Order: sequence, then structure tokens, then C-alpha cells
Amino acid sequence: MKTNTKRKNLNNVAYIFIIPFVVVFAVFSVYPVLRTLYLSFTSYKGFGAPTFIGLKNYIRVFSDKFFWISFLNTVKIWGINIVVQLGTAFLLTIIFSDIRYKMRGLSIFRAVYYLPNLISAVSVAFLFKTLLDWKYGSINQILMAIGLTKTPINWLGQVTTAPNVTALISAWMWFGNSFIILMAGVQGISKDYFEAASLDGAGRWKTFTNITVPLLRPIILYVFVTSLIGGLQMFDIPFLISGGTAGAPSGSLQTVVMYLYKFGFETNQVGYAAAIAYTLFLIILVISIIQFKTIGKEDK
Amino acid sequence: MKMKKVLATFLAGSMILTLAACGSSGSGTSSAAASTAESAAESTADTSDKTSEATAGKSDAKTKLVIWTQAKDLQTFADKYVESNPDVQIQTVVIEPANYVTKVQTALNGGQTEPDIIVGEPQMLQDFYDADYFEDLDQQPYNAKQYDGQIVDYVWKAGQSSDGHQKAISYQITPAGIYYRRDIAKKVLGTDDPDQVGEYFKDYKTVLSTAQKMKDAGYRIFASDGEMSYFAGNSAWVQDDKLNVDQARKDYMDLCINLYKNDLTAYASQWSTPWYQAMSGSIPILSADVQNGTDSNVNVWADKDTFSAATKDNQTTEVFAYGLPSWGVLILRDNVGATSGKWGVCAGPSSGFGGGTFIGISKLSKQKEAAWDFLKFCTLNEDTANWWIEKSQGDTVSLKSVLDQHKDDANEVYGGEKLYTFWLNQAEKIDYSKVTKYDTAIGNAWADAIAAIKTGQSTQEDAINNFYDVVSSTYPEITIDR
Repeated sequence: MKTNTKRKNLNNVAYIFIIPFVVVFAVFSVYPVLRTLYLSFTSYKGFGAPTFIGLKNYIRVFSDKFFWISFLNTVKIWGINIVVQLGTAFLLTIIFSDIRYKMRGLSIFRAVYYLPNLISAVSVAFLFKTLLDWKYGSINQILMAIGLTKTPINWLGQVTTAPNVTALISAWMWFGNSFIILMAGVQGISKDYFEAASLDGAGRWKTFTNITVPLLRPIILYVFVTSLIGGLQMFDIPFLISGGTAGAPSGSLQTVVMYLYKFGFETNQVGYAAAIAYTLFLIILVISIIQFKTIGKEDK
Repeated sequence: MKMKKVLATFLAGSMILTLAACGSSGSGTSSAAASTAESAAESTADTSDKTSEATAGKSDAKTKLVIWTQAKDLQTFADKYVESNPDVQIQTVVIEPANYVTKVQTALNGGQTEPDIIVGEPQMLQDFYDADYFEDLDQQPYNAKQYDGQIVDYVWKAGQSSDGHQKAISYQITPAGIYYRRDIAKKVLGTDDPDQVGEYFKDYKTVLSTAQKMKDAGYRIFASDGEMSYFAGNSAWVQDDKLNVDQARKDYMDLCINLYKNDLTAYASQWSTPWYQAMSGSIPILSADVQNGTDSNVNVWADKDTFSAATKDNQTTEVFAYGLPSWGVLILRDNVGATSGKWGVCAGPSSGFGGGTFIGISKLSKQKEAAWDFLKFCTLNEDTANWWIEKSQGDTVSLKSVLDQHKDDANEVYGGEKLYTFWLNQAEKIDYSKVTKYDTAIGNAWADAIAAIKTGQSTQEDAINNFYDVVSSTYPEITIDR
């Protein structure tokens, strides 16, 4: 009887311990999320009382040409980024995980590859703006010196190159992060599989496609989904590269969140901005579910 | 074994790539420089771009007022006010323009009783009225209606909400004018008389031919095509919920494009180093690429020495004119140097105005009567207005009677021109009913279209269609006839 009460008391004490987190989470995450949902059904302007207008904002989002242009821009930048980011990370993972190479210094390489992720996005954007400067950037100087191009290329000022370059910058920032996660996944796979495969005469490619990839599937899914969620919310790098304008050159760098920013903070249409945010959320949700269904399927 | 070498090279290569990028440091020019410069210029006293506080009066004073503002002017007013009101203490908080609106919204939406006095610039006033931040000055005990007619009309109207209630009052007027060099006018146009020179700026087409005349004579009419931005058109952007793009807007567009494409300006952006430099003498002629930022070899925001070193081989020219609101008097005052006395001011192709600090009382203030007394002191008091003209060395006040008292004041920088009479005339032509809450966003979209055409990014037709698309997606409630 006595021990029972004691256990009960201990249980109650646990609640007290989690109060700080729950309060902070409720105030800074749950409340804003719910409030935004409510505002998306109103014509709130950032001040005064919100007026309920039903689904009007959502109808407007779906018929807004510039929203879909921004969405396509975002998908394009993210798409190129994820191919390069995951491709590089995979390549590095294959090299480091292959028992035949016996690579040493993994922890040093891991740290170095992760470094770009530690620099703030603002610094990264300005760094690349300088390197990629049209007439005086080092990249163009090098390309011209070794004769790859005669005239300097306006990397950040052309619709054809600016989104691709932005994607590569994001990939450069994030490949180390993906590499660490994939590497951790590979190290979690029992060495027995690889030794067995090696004994059975499987080549590198066979080992990779038949052992590494299937066993890494949950990890790949995780990397993919987190990258998608982050990628579709892309804001800082394109915003800074286009100099705070509406996605210069010619709007090709305007992402969904930059479009949202325009309404929330420049034209006082907070209700509409909230609807854009929730539309983006729904899109991310749908794509994530599709990813879970397709990549995660064969696990069962 | 060979494979291992290739691998080692690849790994080392990617390592160098990451490390090299970490080691170099980036530097960039921010376009924020322009807005900072603009806000600095708009204040008549010296302005810092960070939040600063100053308290005037004794700490044991009975009444304590808090003012939130964007420029240091009101600190100077507060210092003067407490001299004759020893029982009041005034704390003036100067907030960076970029953060000002957000700060006011947060404070007042959150029900704060501080600040007692808030200010607004014309482009934010309508939102402040809609949000009901200001006390209605038409009611007791203020009865602002009794002062109707004392303040220049457009400023008085700008202080009214759409239902006609007085909410804010400004101590200054800010009509725009063309500031020109009399010596160059005489040489090229054969006259330096403001009325006659004004004929050369009477509409956009004439401005273009004047620009060509100036270029043929070895001068440049403006530092850049941005100089015409205060004269972008007389009509309202939105009329009866319909988008209104009249012929004058299109002529303005043509003017900007031609000024840019035909090398009729010196390509020196407003507020940049050469822009100020041209007020006192010759400057290097830059290129279109420098102006639109694609040529970064010349940094027009750098200090004088760096800028001169980068442009020492350029051909030079002198700039004929500037288009600025009446507070441009204060900017030229500090920058004309040896050209002092050689300037004149005339009317431009349309009536415009720029900026202006409108003072109102927060609806949540607990010190409304004290705040009203200070507001009256700043805006409706002849002695203050006279003192301010003296103190600011040439700001243009809004009180008609004081402008009348100063109508014969000759300004020596402008060859003895009677500027107060001129500004009052210009201000009387401004029709405030043409100002809408859509102006900032639509004006920016129109400017984007102009920029896209002049730099060759898109054709005129595409750019205008895109402009319509942007307006319709930003404000679906506006009808657009294409």
C-alpha cells in the first residue's frame, strides 16, 4: 500500500519536470500553429480584429498564378539540390563504408564535410555572391584563366543559371549532414552481411544495390523527408542572393516562403499569408505520405 | 591501388573545397545602404540608424510623455517644449525606420499604454487609421476642426482618416521640386529664371529633350533616372476600385527608359557617393551596369577615396538637376560646397511630395491632454514654427501664417530665391485625394516593370502584362482593364 502511493507520487513529480518544455512548446509552437490556422480563414491585416471569410483565402491561393510559379521555382531548386546533395553523400558513404578500402580518418573527414552547415546562411549567401560575381568573382576569373569560357558568366543574374547555382549552394551546405546520417546508418548494418557478400563474390555495385541500399532504406527516407520539408520552406539563401527583391532575376528565385513574406510583412495581408503557409503545409504533407508509401513499402 | 589514389584525390579535393570556402571572407554591398541614406536624409536633424532614446525635462516632473518616432526632430522639439513646461518630462525614442511599423503594431495590438505619441509617414498612415491607433482629434477636448485652414491643405487632409476625422497633424510640408544649377541653365538654356527653367521640365517629353540638350553641351541632366521618382504621375493608381494607368504614367515610363538607354544621365544612383559629390562639382560618368549593380568594380556606396580611385579613368561631367522634396534644401545645404549660390528650384512635370512626419496621440495613452498640448506646440504654434525654421536652417513648416511671414526670405544657396513662397505654391497643387493605400505596392510593381524594360530583361508588352498580373495577385479586389 505504502509503495503504491510512493510510485503514484513519483509519477506526479515527472509531470512537474516536463512542465518547462510543455509550456514553452505550447506557447511558441502549438499556439502559433493553431492561431495561423484560424487566421488563414480571416482577412486579418496584422492589426484590428480578424474578419472570418471562410475558404476565400484558399480559393485565392489555388487560383494565384504567382503562388504556383513560386512553388515550381522552389521544387526546381530543391530537386537539383537533393540530387547533388544525396548523390555526393552516397558516394562518400560508399567510399568510407567499403571494408576493402579500409579508409582511415573518418572522424576528421566527417567534421570537415559538416563545416559548411555550421556557417550561417547569411554568410554563405554573401560568400557565394562574392565568389560568383559576374565580372570580378574568383570563379569566373579561374574559368577564364584556364580557358573554359571567354567571357564571364553572369551566374546569379540569369534566369538560366541563378536557380541552379542556388541549388548547388544548398547542396554544398547540406551534403555533410546527409553524409553523417547515411554513414551512421551504414555503420549500424552488421559487418557479417558485407563479409558474406564478399565471400560469395559480389562486386562493389552488387553489394551496394543489394545490401547497403535495402538496409539503409529507412535512413534514406528520413534524409529525403527532412530535406523536402526544409527545401520547400527555403527562404534565406534565395532571398539574400536576390538582394531582398522579389526573386531577381525575373522572379526565378522567388520561393513559396518569399511569396508568403511579401503578403505577411509587406502588404499587410496576414490572413492570405497564413493560407499560403497552410497550403504549403498540405503540399508537404501529401508529398511526405507519398514518399513513405513508396520508399518505405518494401520493408514490410 | 590506382583506384585508391583516385579516391584519395577526390576526398582531399572535397575537403579543400569545404575548407577553402570557410577561410575566405565575403563582403558585399547591401542595397540597405540606399534606404538608410534615405531615412537619414529625411530627418532634418542628424539621424543615427539605430534605436536611440533621449529624455528631456526633470525626472521629478508630474507628467511623463513617451514619444515613438523615426527621426531625431521630435527630440529637438521636446527639448524646446520642456523649457516652457517644467512640469513635463518627455522621453523620445527614435526607432529605425525598418522596424518602426512592426514595433508600433506590436505595442498597440498588445494594449500597451506607452507610447503616448506616435508618428506616421504618409504611406503608413492609412493602415494606422484603419487599425484605429490614433485618438480622434475632432472630439472634445481637442476640437481640431477649429484649426481647419491654418495648415497647408494637403497635409491637413493627409492627417484625416477615410471618414474625414482628424487623426494626425504634421509640422512640415514636403512638396517636390527640381533643384537645378543656375550657371548651367544660363549656358545651355539661355535663362536661369525658375519659371522659365520650369518650362523645360513641364512634361515628360520636354524633360527628355532637355536631357538631350544637356548631353549635347557636355552635361548630364540628372545623376540617374531615379531622380524623377517624386514626379511619377498626378493621377490616382486606383479609382473606384479600378486600376488606373493613364497616359502620363506611360510617358513617365518612356522617359525613364530613354534616360537610361540613351546615356542621358551619369548613372549615379540616388544617395550614393557620386550622387552627393555631384552637388559640389564634376563626377565620373558611370555605366548602366554600375547603376543596376552588375558591374561591381565600381562601388558607388564606398567612401569618396575608394570611389575616386575606382573611377579615375572615367570621363567626367557636371550634373544639372536633382528632383527632391522640400527637405532636399537641407541635403543640398550640407553638400553644395563651392556651388553655393548657383542653385535654383523650379516646378517639375507633376505635383508630388515625399515623406513628412505626422504626429498623433495613441488611443491607449493615459496622458492624452498632455500629449495634445505637445502636439499643438509642434504643429499649430507660430512661435515654434518660427523657431524650427531657424533651428533646422531651412525646413519647410506647414503653418500657413508662418510661411506667409517668411514669404520674402531669400535663400542664398539658391541665388536669393524665395523658397517658402515656391514651396507653398507647389504644396497647393497637391491633390491628396489621389493618394491610395495601394500606392506603395503598385508603384513598386510599376518601377519593376520599368527596370525590366530598360535593362532589356523583357519587352515592354511583357513587362506591362506582368505588372497587371502582379497587381491582380496582390490585390484581387482591384478590377483591371487590360
